[in-house]
Amino acid sequence: MTQFGFYFDQARCIGCHTCAVACKDWNNVDAGSVNWMRVNEILKGKFPNLKMVYLSIACNHCSNPPCIKVCPANAIIKRESDGIVLVNQDACIGYEVCGAKCLKACPWDAPQFANLKKAKMEKCNLCYDRLEKGQQPICVEACPMYAIDVGPIEKLKEKYKYSNEAEGFLYNNRVDPSIIFKSKKIS
Amino acid sequence: MNDLGEDEELNGIKIIKTGCCHDCGGRCVLRAHVKDGKIIRFETDNDEEPQLRACMRGRAYRQRVYSPERLQYPLRRIGQRGEGLFKRISWDEALDEVAKNLKEMKEQYGNSAILFVAGAGNQGMLHGPVPAGLMLNQFGGYTRMWGAPSYEGALFASMATYGTIMTGNAREDLLNTKLLIMWGWNPANTIWDPGTNLMLAKVKEKGIKVVVIDPIFTDSAAVFADQWIPIRPGTDTAMLLAMGYVIISEDLHNKEFISKYTIGFEKYKSYILGEGDGIPKTPEWAEKICLVPAEIISNLARDYASIKPAALVAGWGPARAAYGEIYSRAANILCVITGNIGLNGGYASGFMRAYYSRERVTSYKKKDNFIEKPKKPRPQDNPVDFEAPPRKDSLFKLMGGTNPANTRIHYNDYYNAILLGKKGGYPADLKMAYIVASNRLNQYGNINKGIKALKTLDFIVVQDQFMTPTAKFADIILPVNTFMERNDIAVPWLGSPYYIYLNKAIDSLYESKSDLEIARELSKKLGIDPGILNLEEDQILRILSSPRKDIKSYNKMKKDGYYKIKIDEPFVAFREQIEDPEHNPFPTLSGKIEIFSEHIAEKENPLMPPIPKYMTHEEHYDSPKAKKYPLQLITPHNKRRTHSSLQMVPWLKEIEHHAVWINITDASKRKIENGDMVDIFNDRGRIRIPAKVTERIMPGVICIYQGEWYKPNKKGIDIGGCANTLTQDGNSPGGAFPLNSNLVEVKLFSKNTVGVSK
Repeated sequence: MTQFGFYFDQARCIGCHTCAVACKDWNNVDAGSVNWMRVNEILKGKFPNLKMVYLSIACNHCSNPPCIKVCPANAIIKRESDGIVLVNQDACIGYEVCGAKCLKACPWDAPQFANLKKAKMEKCNLCYDRLEKGQQPICVEACPMYAIDVGPIEKLKEKYKYSNEAEGFLYNNRVDPSIIFKSKKIS
Repeated sequence: MNDLGEDEELNGIKIIKTGCCHDCGGRCVLRAHVKDGKIIRFETDNDEEPQLRACMRGRAYRQRVYSPERLQYPLRRIGQRGEGLFKRISWDEALDEVAKNLKEMKEQYGNSAILFVAGAGNQGMLHGPVPAGLMLNQFGGYTRMWGAPSYEGALFASMATYGTIMTGNAREDLLNTKLLIMWGWNPANTIWDPGTNLMLAKVKEKGIKVVVIDPIFTDSAAVFADQWIPIRPGTDTAMLLAMGYVIISEDLHNKEFISKYTIGFEKYKSYILGEGDGIPKTPEWAEKICLVPAEIISNLARDYASIKPAALVAGWGPARAAYGEIYSRAANILCVITGNIGLNGGYASGFMRAYYSRERVTSYKKKDNFIEKPKKPRPQDNPVDFEAPPRKDSLFKLMGGTNPANTRIHYNDYYNAILLGKKGGYPADLKMAYIVASNRLNQYGNINKGIKALKTLDFIVVQDQFMTPTAKFADIILPVNTFMERNDIAVPWLGSPYYIYLNKAIDSLYESKSDLEIARELSKKLGIDPGILNLEEDQILRILSSPRKDIKSYNKMKKDGYYKIKIDEPFVAFREQIEDPEHNPFPTLSGKIEIFSEHIAEKENPLMPPIPKYMTHEEHYDSPKAKKYPLQLITPHNKRRTHSSLQMVPWLKEIEHHAVWINITDASKRKIENGDMVDIFNDRGRIRIPAKVTERIMPGVICIYQGEWYKPNKKGIDIGGCANTLTQDGNSPGGAFPLNSNLVEVKLFSKNTVGVSK
């Protein structure tokens, strides 16, 4: 099976949120609690000795997605062809009923719920529709810093010198997230 | 809908090639996906490199076009000015009323009583204030402003030093430098042309040392810098002079360059060494002023003078301050005495418009270093300005730069002009304002004085897309469409070789009209011939873009939505002047780089020294006022807006909550914790917003990002948190806007109201 995943260049990210906004525009996600792509600021030190990096992160379409195992409605699937993890919203029983088990199981907060009682899970689908048309995901094409890449993870590993970890991101061997980094450690 | 640009048709979706064209550091490509006449999403440039990728401001544009807050119909004021009570009227009624007032003002007081506020909210060649300006020229003219808040200090310094605003090297050339100093320059947030940040990342990846000097630990400092040097606001000149002291006293200056290409070095040296005032401008002297350790100043000076080539990019922010033009002069001169001019990897700090054809299509010819005017006003000339002699403090003997007509009023000084008029020494008694694409009240210094001034006018018309704090003062509001609803051409903001053609993506929403349509219809009511405005948009755009000889194919530009100009090697400002000085003098009066400016000396204005001198002022940290208001307020640009445009966009609003940045030391002294609601105040006004208690700003300094909308409560406290409620009006003699020079105090108002990230 081919596994698609992300490459993220943490040393380049300027925290501009263009990926996150382009994602909301493309996928029609309103402003609010739902963020398929999240841009986190990580600041360390005391004035004037400061270091700061950003971590832009969506869903890592893990090899062993913990969200799938905990979902009581079997609403989350992993595609055979490309390893993309998708949610079937018709099957999802919603935040209130199951207590967001998938979100609790995910080490990186990929499953997202709107601020509504009946909210169903939604998350990054790696723009599979764009990939199928030979286009890059919208975040990749949006990034003014060319800091994000998406493709078969093995190919990304050949293309880039990479690390499994980044500042603000801890690798989990058991889950095996499909993301690699050019990391910028600041500790 | 346009035939061109619809090169893809899928599921009834048309892709229209357009762009983003507000007054930011961008001008970027957008592709609007339009279905059933509605924009459903955007893509950006995915064609040939270099791509002109839009930032989040452009990507969020759908929420601006379809904002429920858009102005939909013409409105007439029914409440008090500023109250925001309006009544819907027809276009016919609205334009009749505007025309009637224009005619009455002209008849009763003359054209100079009409103040035309031509804002920067739209940066297309055709729309925004352009049509209204051409119309008002035909009507006999108007009083206009001079000065731009972003850059007037940098512009003046650039003209004074090099005689031109075309300074700096192309972005690509930064890869040739060995040391990059980013002084008060934060392109990670302000963009400075698409591609600049990517280039800076490559500079960093190449291992080139980058130093950032800024009171804030900016995103640029965090991402690009090897070293961040926090500096007290308004003291940049002192540090630059101290660097000059180290360079000269350690004999590191480039003597050959100085003797061959410059005049006035001895006078600069004499001041630096303290020969006149007895104060050598040593790093120890500067340390007390700037709070930068002397050793850091010395080391940076030595590095800058000895690592060759080195690029000092002096940003505009520190020049957006009292005597900002002097800071910018001091920076330019440091580039000069180290000989980092006209060569790859160097950088001539200044206005930094490396590639740009605006100056080459300047309307006046130069003769014997004086501007030769046409015999009578052309359609683009304002008759009120036309015969006017130059303003005393302007660099009127030089071609380019700011219009020096003395009929003009400085943009940050026109509240006084309205209130005092000719009796107060201003060139006109202003009676009405015609405001286009400008959130004037919000975006210039001293809002509370502005409110008093605007209330005294007989008539105000505002042409805008939203009910801005400025629009609330209008008698008549004319709703304008957005650049998604019309054709236009965007010129790159700074120095990049490209143009963007904005193909109309959708029809005008509601009853809104384009600025062009409004000027055409109003011209009829005024009984004047608006000239080219009667032509179709596309025909006018062909005429307006025709002087730009680098556009080889208008049709290709329109079809592709952009026109990228191939340049063989990165542009280097002043290469010709340095390589062949005999045939290529600098465009200054002396033909050389002017470390000492005779043209400035002629003014005999002690606040405008012909060589850069460090001066304090009454809103500086060491003034008596600082006892009452001990914190320095700076008001930079943030990452989620373009000035005050895009304020209403939810996707952008959620990215960074509006808050005052305050260092933990200053906060704890005042018992303020992160997220607490605080009052920030001085004699000019009071703001109430949450505090962001952070290490990212130096102690003694607070930051309120400019552009948030003014919103007074019943007591007049600005709970919107517009920085200009606290900033100064007025200007420095060279034109710098003192918007980063303000003393304030902060007090706790109420505990922990909202979540604010540290």
